[in-house]
Amino acid sequence: MKELLLSFALFLHRSPKYKAAKQFAKDILFDANNTYKRYFDLTIIFLVISSVLILIYEVKNPVPLWLDNYDIYVVSFIFAVEYLLRLWVHNDLSEMMIKEYNDAKFLGREFNLYTVFKKGISEKLKYMVTPSAIVDLLAILPAYRPLRILRVFILFRVFKLLRYTKSINQFVDVLVNKKFELLTLLFLLLFIVFTSGIAIYILEADKNSNIHTLFDGIYWAIVTISTVGYGDISPVTDVGRAISILIIVSGIAMISFVTSVIVSAFSERLNELKEYRIIEQMNKSKSFMIICGYGQMTKMFFRQQREPLEHYVIMDTDPTRVEAAKKDGYVAIHEDASSHKTLSRFDAEYCDVTILCLTSSDVENIYITLNAKSISKSIKVIARVNDPETIDKFKYAGADEVLLPNLVANTMIYTAIRQPTMYKAIHAILTGKSIANIDEIHVHASHAMVGKQIEDLDFSSSKLLFMGIQRRGKFIFNPPKTELIETFDVLLVMGRKISLEYFKSQHEGDIHVKK
Amino acid sequence: MSRNKIAIFGYGNHGKFIAKGLAADGFDITIVESDKDFYEDAQTNGFTNVLFADVTKDSELKKMNLESFTQLVCVMDDEHLNVFLTLSLRSLFKDSYILSISDSLNVTKKLQMAGANKVIDLYEVSANKIYNLLDRPIATKLLEEFVHNRGGITFKEMVIPKYSFLDGKMAENVDFSSYGVLLIGMIDEELGHTFVFVTAGIAHKLDSGDTIVCLGEKEKLDAFENLIKKKEI
Repeated sequence: MKELLLSFALFLHRSPKYKAAKQFAKDILFDANNTYKRYFDLTIIFLVISSVLILIYEVKNPVPLWLDNYDIYVVSFIFAVEYLLRLWVHNDLSEMMIKEYNDAKFLGREFNLYTVFKKGISEKLKYMVTPSAIVDLLAILPAYRPLRILRVFILFRVFKLLRYTKSINQFVDVLVNKKFELLTLLFLLLFIVFTSGIAIYILEADKNSNIHTLFDGIYWAIVTISTVGYGDISPVTDVGRAISILIIVSGIAMISFVTSVIVSAFSERLNELKEYRIIEQMNKSKSFMIICGYGQMTKMFFRQQREPLEHYVIMDTDPTRVEAAKKDGYVAIHEDASSHKTLSRFDAEYCDVTILCLTSSDVENIYITLNAKSISKSIKVIARVNDPETIDKFKYAGADEVLLPNLVANTMIYTAIRQPTMYKAIHAILTGKSIANIDEIHVHASHAMVGKQIEDLDFSSSKLLFMGIQRRGKFIFNPPKTELIETFDVLLVMGRKISLEYFKSQHEGDIHVKK
Repeated sequence: MSRNKIAIFGYGNHGKFIAKGLAADGFDITIVESDKDFYEDAQTNGFTNVLFADVTKDSELKKMNLESFTQLVCVMDDEHLNVFLTLSLRSLFKDSYILSISDSLNVTKKLQMAGANKVIDLYEVSANKIYNLLDRPIATKLLEEFVHNRGGITFKEMVIPKYSFLDGKMAENVDFSSYGVLLIGMIDEELGHTFVFVTAGIAHKLDSGDTIVCLGEKEKLDAFENLIKKKEI
């Protein structure tokens, strides 16, 4: 028996098909980036909604047999399969068995199946008692026809939808944080409800025509303490009324207390929830930018933008600066970009992420650079460096571009003194004054321009100055007029914005100007 | 040549770099410092025209004969001192060209109010560079190479001499690229002393006395500068 189970476990462990199947099940259930998960989720949502609609329709109208069968067999069956799948992928029994066997062999002790099963099954049981697993189980139950009362459990199918709503999870999260306060209040509430419920039962059971059982007493206590007061049961004796007064007063106090606890819990977490939303939003876009630090440099960077930046977030560790950024109308969150946890929340695998390290501290900037590169090499990092001696460190940390504000400014001043006319020209080009834009035209593989001579492109008629070609990492300045354009060339041209646009439109669909 | 006489106030972060670059280009520079350490630093680095003076005192500034300088460059490390200095220089020397460095938006405004002819904002130029790096990486890098003369291609300003073959010609009728240079723009004295790009779409008549800015390899530029002295080609 033991050998048989063990060899079966080994067989499963070695079978690539089994592993692939399990991985697929896992992906479809949990991996948000899986393409099939979307369809799977939509199917479940559809099943839930249709089954609840049938339940509502059924109350007043007879339901056709096929619909009933669909409800019982199809829906319940799929839910049952889903439930079993979740249970299956929760842990790996065969692997545990093999591990235990190897351990036993290593230690020279007897291989014991019982411990493996005990551990494995207790883990499965642990999963089974989680709220979502219970909801899943209850959602299958209505399939059992003989018990009509189980029809009500169809409503549990609605709870299955909770899996797809993040806000509920966040709400629960907030409540869990205030577990201590809420539990204390709950016990106090139970204590008052039970004592006053019992008291009213003892005092009025034979005088009040509405109170027959202890349940009536407790029901009355709850209706009264919650300040709902249906009035179907009301005290008739003076002592009973005195008890009512006590419960009502304590009820008001308690309800306001609970409300304030929940509200404060939310306001404490509100920023976090908002930041969560921002990050979610960013991960949905194809490319975005994370700007670390809101200082002089960042402010200036935003002033340079000719059109408002679309996907970006400013991060700063100083709450006052985050507030300042928000006041200036920018999207900012109070997070530490040098922490692994923060940056790993961004989806660097699927999006183009650019990080600008613009804080005034070199140490901070290096740390952020390293952090970003450790998460994904594909994150582009542009770092500000203050001390020229740390440039090597930045390069070593993997920064794609480094920038020394002092050096840039010094070069500018130097140029301004040395060649004042040229300085004007360069400054105009750099700041993108409308008459002097230098732009890149990226030639694509399937492109009519490929193979043409430069002469044919006729730059001068669109008032453009053709400066050269960047080809395979080398710049060819002022190439001869007979030079042929090749695929993946980048043409460097200068001109007014409208000239560039016109040139682009002339080669509509052919040329792609990188934005 | 008086054109190249420049006074640099401050031998700190910025002054050092600028002084070194300008000295290498053969400018006649005078360094003024009020900090003893920086003053000695400048001397040990081989600068001969180094003055030690308290720049907050007008009497000391007056003694320096600053009218003879073409540009006064205020690059003190202390921004307050820099603004004060700019203001004193402007009040003392009405016609001097003053260039100042600023490290924030507020300081830029103050410097402009103090009368600086040109203010270079440390963060503005850097932020601009980041923007350009993101927007058009290749063009920005190439442009930087042109400016620093790293890739062998650079900008050059040249004045069209009298009796040049260019004198009186329309800019679009001259095929600059056949000489291995590209005309970027010019200062047309007829249209007032402003820089005009060739791509602005205005028909330019080249006259003697105009300054043209060309881009090209160093040798080709030098050859071209010699060429335009000729009457005929």
